Order: sequence, then structure tokens, then C-alpha cells
Amino acid sequence: MSTHEILATIQDSALGNWMRYTNGAMPVVEATHVVAAVLLFGTVLIVDIRLLGLADSQRAYTRVSRETLRLTWLAFAVSVITGSLMFTTSPLTYFYNWAFEWKALALLGAGVNMAAFQLLTASGVSAWNEHSRAPRAARLTGVASLLLWAAVVLLGRWIGFTKGYDFTIPAGLDLGPTG
Amino acid sequence: MRAFAEWLSTSAPSVAIQSRFWFIRVLQATHLITAGVAVASGLMISLRVLNFQRADQPFDAAWARFAPWLTASLAVMLLTGLAQTLGDPVREFTATSYWVKVVLVLCCIAGTLWFARAARRAPATTSFSVTAKLVAAALILFWLLLPLLGRMIAYDKAIWGPLSLRT
Repeated sequence: MSTHEILATIQDSALGNWMRYTNGAMPVVEATHVVAAVLLFGTVLIVDIRLLGLADSQRAYTRVSRETLRLTWLAFAVSVITGSLMFTTSPLTYFYNWAFEWKALALLGAGVNMAAFQLLTASGVSAWNEHSRAPRAARLTGVASLLLWAAVVLLGRWIGFTKGYDFTIPAGLDLGPTG
Repeated sequence: MRAFAEWLSTSAPSVAIQSRFWFIRVLQATHLITAGVAVASGLMISLRVLNFQRADQPFDAAWARFAPWLTASLAVMLLTGLAQTLGDPVREFTATSYWVKVVLVLCCIAGTLWFARAARRAPATTSFSVTAKLVAAALILFWLLLPLLGRMIAYDKAIWGPLSLRT
């Protein structure tokens, strides 16, 4: 099954049709996605600025992250669910939209950055947990996290600006009606 | 209101914003990013009042941590929000979501100022009255509704139906 056929199947699915044709479904899901994205970015920021020593410098890093990341994961789960629902409405157009592609890359980058932090930097957290200044590697992870999550939010907004249709159609690809 | 919005949309500042396509995008993007800072900071203050966050800290410590970020981000949000309103007054003024959002922003500011007074009067307090906790719970809902309503401005008729101010 080609990528195009998979996307067409998603678009023609019952879920895709429900999202497209149910009055109010897309506005409610999209607005909920925005709330989750806003909360996700805001809570990630709280942890990242602790890593950078810009706030909470007298509070243990693990305490700040434990308190805050529960909200972050909740917001992330809601973002994934609502984002997936939005994707089903027009997967054939979203998939080839440059802003969507870059957002997916930024999300991947944020995931890799978080994994690298957990595997490499956080393993030695007891050595700097109470310090106001985290080691350079941790601070770099904080900067990367801030930039990547800000990019995710901004590129998400840019998908709206491009209406999901700002893309170059690959040669030989028919994006006509699929159902 | 519509006549005023239409007049405003022809004013020089409004036309200047409308004619700068990239400026509108930058305004919206900045508004969205600072909303993240404001909502998270506002939530943390309210969650502290409810003892769900930083219960080990006195309230004034949590206040000192989040209030400056909340104030700065709210200031940027208000500026970018006003500029967006000026850039498309008919769209904003004829949306029920917009007016509900304005009311909720004022409620969030008033509630947070009330907590600021509490931080000044009893800086070392760790627990709050039932009334304060009810206000905090309401503020959590309001903070989360702000970005929701902001996005819903685009879909006012679909969301509000006959209650929409758009005709």
C-alpha cells in the first residue's frame, strides 16, 4: 500500500467523514488542540527555564519537573488525540503541506531531545539537582527544548495560515476526489 | 457596534495593519506563544491556592515565581490582542467568543489581583479559605477557556449558533 493510498484510506474513513461533516466537530477539536498546545508549551517552559537557571533556582530540578510534567503529559495526550482527529479531515493535503512537514520534524526533534536528556543528562541529576546552575549539556537541552516546542506551536499556527493547501503537488500524483 | 467596527476598519491604523500580511501573522504567533506563558503561570498560581502545586512553599514564594511571568506575558497578549482587534475589528466585534473572552480576561486579572493582595497581607500563608479555593477553581477554568475562545472566534456561527453576533 502506497503512502497516498494510506492517506486516502484515512481521509475516506468513518472518522475522517465524521470530522469533516459533523457540524461543530472541527471547530471544537481545533480549539481544544490550541488549548492543549498552549498548556504544553507553557509547562515545558517552566521546566526549561529551571534548567537554564532563570527561575526556581532554589528549588530542586527533579521537584519542579515532577510537579509540572504531569500537566505536560496530559496536554501532550490531548494534543496528539485532537491533532490526529484534525489530520483525518484532509490527510492528503496536510501531508504535503510544508508547515505540517516541518512541524512533524520539530516534534520528532523535541522527542529526540527529551530522550537524549533522560538517557544522558538526567541520569546524573543527583550531582546538580539542588544547584541553581545545571551543567552545560542540561542547559543546552533546555534551550533546544524551548526552541523546538516554540517551533511546534508556531508551525501549527502556520498550517492554519496556509490552509493546509500550500504545497507543491508531486509529479504524477492525482489528489482528486477519493471517495 | 457593527457600524463602529466598520468605521474602525477603515481607519489609518487598521488599514496599516491589514496591509502588512506578515505583521498579522507575527501578531498571531506572538499572541499564541505568550498565551502559553500566561496560561501556565496563571494555572500554577491557582493550583497553588488549591494546594495541588508547590504545597510545601508559602504562597508568596509561588507568587514571586510566577507573577512576573504572568504580568509580562499578559501585557504582550493584551498588546498583540488589541493590535489584532484593530487589524480586523468587524471579525472580532461581531464574534460572541470575542466578548466572552474579553470578560474572562478581566475576571482572570481581577482574580489574580485578589490573590496578589492575599500574598501581600499574609505572605507566609500555606492554606486558603473555601472562597479563595472556589475563585482559584473558577480561574483555572477561565485560563483554559481563553485560548479555546480565541480559536473559536473563527468559527463563531458554528459554535454559538443563534447566540452568535455574526449575521
